[in-house]
Amino acid sequence: MESVPEREDFMVVEIERFQGPLDLLLHLIRKQDVDIFDIPISTITDQFLKAIKGLAANDIDGAGEFLEMAAGLIRIKAQMLLPRPVGDEEEDPRAELVRRLLEYELIREVSGRLRVAQSQRARRFRKAYIPPRIKRDISEMTLETTWDEVYAAALHIRMPLPRRVDHQVSTRTVSMEEKATLILEALKENASVQFSKLLSGFKERSHGVMTFLAGLELTRRRVLFLRQSSPFQELWIYRRDEEEVDDELVGKLDPEKGVEG
Amino acid sequence: MNVYQIVEAVLFASDAPLTAHEIARADEGLDEDQVESALVFLRAEYDDSSRSFELVQVAEGYQILTRPEFASYLERFDNVPRPARLSGPALETLAIIAYRQPIGRLEIEYIRGVGASGVIRTLQDRHLIDVVARSEGLGRPLLYGTTRQFLEHFGFRSLEDLPRPEELPIVLRERTPLGPEDDLAEEDDAVGGEVAEKSTGQLKVATETLEQSSQEAEEPHR
Repeated sequence: MESVPEREDFMVVEIERFQGPLDLLLHLIRKQDVDIFDIPISTITDQFLKAIKGLAANDIDGAGEFLEMAAGLIRIKAQMLLPRPVGDEEEDPRAELVRRLLEYELIREVSGRLRVAQSQRARRFRKAYIPPRIKRDISEMTLETTWDEVYAAALHIRMPLPRRVDHQVSTRTVSMEEKATLILEALKENASVQFSKLLSGFKERSHGVMTFLAGLELTRRRVLFLRQSSPFQELWIYRRDEEEVDDELVGKLDPEKGVEG
Repeated sequence: MNVYQIVEAVLFASDAPLTAHEIARADEGLDEDQVESALVFLRAEYDDSSRSFELVQVAEGYQILTRPEFASYLERFDNVPRPARLSGPALETLAIIAYRQPIGRLEIEYIRGVGASGVIRTLQDRHLIDVVARSEGLGRPLLYGTTRQFLEHFGFRSLEDLPRPEELPIVLRERTPLGPEDDLAEEDDAVGGEVAEKSTGQLKVATETLEQSSQEAEEPHR
């Protein structure tokens, strides 16, 4: 029964990748082709404990759930060692765990299907999906001006004499931080922006290079992503939704855990 | 004016799916059957004249939506709010609620093996789930169910569109789990609810003892 060869590569699991103890346990079982109805509880428990080693230190909230599962596994392991009278109607100590694992596996499969349905639906748009452009409020503009006032104002203006001035313009270093801020500012208003728009007003090539590098850096930090329909076409910069990250955080830092509602 | 023109006008002016019943409110002379046949006519009309939009059945109603192949053009516009993609935990929690509604938080947490109140709050804020009842149990905990917006978000016509467990490639059907769950099979209906009952089938076999065990599982926290 306990004959699963202990292969070390199953131990190298990133705990963060898993949605919880059931997810991790299912991974250990499925990756090793273990019969889920006859789980080698001793081996799996050892592997589970190895996988969560070092977890407790940095994330107490998340670790609690893994530790609870570890305790459950050890209890089952102990129960398996106790002799059971022949013909005893009592359930296999692993039965409840198997039921939970199978149900969780089903839920995981369904949530995969939901993910697909979600992205298919996201490709259809309802009417008025594209909101109107924001126009400046007319009340912000003063309209009550008479021509006399305009004339009076015009008299105050002293026109500069046309004069040739030679400027000595020194090159200014273009920083990437500056360009990153520029991109982020542009994306505050809109979900996407054309690369070429970010360059308007700048003449030197270094501005283009730096804007591009800043774009790449922000992509690496997963703040945004770039899209181009084909080579030499316009490059589009898209804001990446942070909601996914938020949800994960909320899920982990859950203050109400264990308190009945 | 034709019936289908009236129906079209109503659908055109609406930004959410409408049922035949709701559309029929447009005129006293309209009944649901007339609306239904007008909907059939309109759908064929849009398909035959290869419009960029179609009449889609979604969230127990009808809605005019653009065809998916135009997504890449529409996505380019500024200010377009990109529809929020749900995270893994959010999808798992939604899946559980969709199949087992009405369901309480403790049960959800037991199935996923992790805390759920944060995710539940997020889903509630997005109107994908709502409190539908209170359990008769200790402390009368809140029970959650999915909303019409849930169906809209995933493009489902009704809960019947959820993938059925027998369609899923899971070993559950090949062998029955260990233990005497057969005699428990009839006891779960109290919490199961009508919809969950229809769509879960196999899923439930695996979770018969859920109720009592989830209470046991929570014991150490108290």
